[in-house]
Amino acid sequence: MQQGDGTEAQVTWEDQQNINRFGRLNNRLHELYDEIKLAKETNENLDDAGNELILSDEDVVRFQIGEVFAHMPRDDVETKLEQMKEDAAKRLERLEEEKESILAQMAELKKILYGKFKDAINLEED
Amino acid sequence: MAAAAASTPQGVTERRGIPAASFVEDVESYLRQARLDVNSGLAFLQERLQQYKIVEMKLLAQQRDLQAKIPDIEKCLDIVASLQVKKALGEALTADFELSEGIYSRAKIEDTDSVCLWLGANIMLEYSCDEANALLKKNLENAKASLEVLVADLQFSRDQQTITQVTIARVFNWDVHQRRSKQATKET
Repeated sequence: MQQGDGTEAQVTWEDQQNINRFGRLNNRLHELYDEIKLAKETNENLDDAGNELILSDEDVVRFQIGEVFAHMPRDDVETKLEQMKEDAAKRLERLEEEKESILAQMAELKKILYGKFKDAINLEED
Repeated sequence: MAAAAASTPQGVTERRGIPAASFVEDVESYLRQARLDVNSGLAFLQERLQQYKIVEMKLLAQQRDLQAKIPDIEKCLDIVASLQVKKALGEALTADFELSEGIYSRAKIEDTDSVCLWLGANIMLEYSCDEANALLKKNLENAKASLEVLVADLQFSRDQQTITQVTIARVFNWDVHQRRSKQATKET
């Protein structure tokens, strides 16, 4: 909390819990930003892989499983890739939804906390 | 087990060795009861804050380790699954693997009933595919469960930090208020 003029409202346990909840949400939000960035990259990589597959005309494709590249027939690779793309897209959607939910909850808490403490509290990203 | 908001202050006094920060209802009575003047009070709270930060650093390091371990186990499960699929089809699995940096070699894996799993500490054990699956799945579950507990610990530790930071600000502001009112009464 900022340096007040000494006449700001008293902090109750409920206020403290709201502040704690805001902190937790903010932490999770930053984690989500990173996770969403990674998920978008994964989606892009899978799309690139799909495009490469279409351009290549080999029947046997080296598909990475873990640390090795297994030889797989082209059709199997296509199916697997489609599945991976679907999973990745769903994951990204879930993460975006969580992000929206958290932003909404944070906005609610901001209203409550600013309402009570006005200038004495700063909830913005520095 | 998760450190959800307690219904009353001090509902949770500690969590896995991390002491809970006591919530101060009233700054004046807190300082009087602890028999601390403002500066000693602030110093004590700052020290507590540092301790919480150290705990947080340790937990973050553990979290990073676990988060690296989980994808590794999932990759192993992938490979075992691929081997089992190939076995069911009666085909050999041809794979290119890295022999050394930048140098790859080809391996043909025929009719495997067993795999070797690296257990750490320079020990590798041979398991049947089914046993390997079971072991890897158990390790994965344990890792995920540990990660959940760790995340809850981190949240608890951060909550205690927030409480301590707010208390520091309130003690400081109370002191400012005291000085101002003393100044005011002196002037009248």
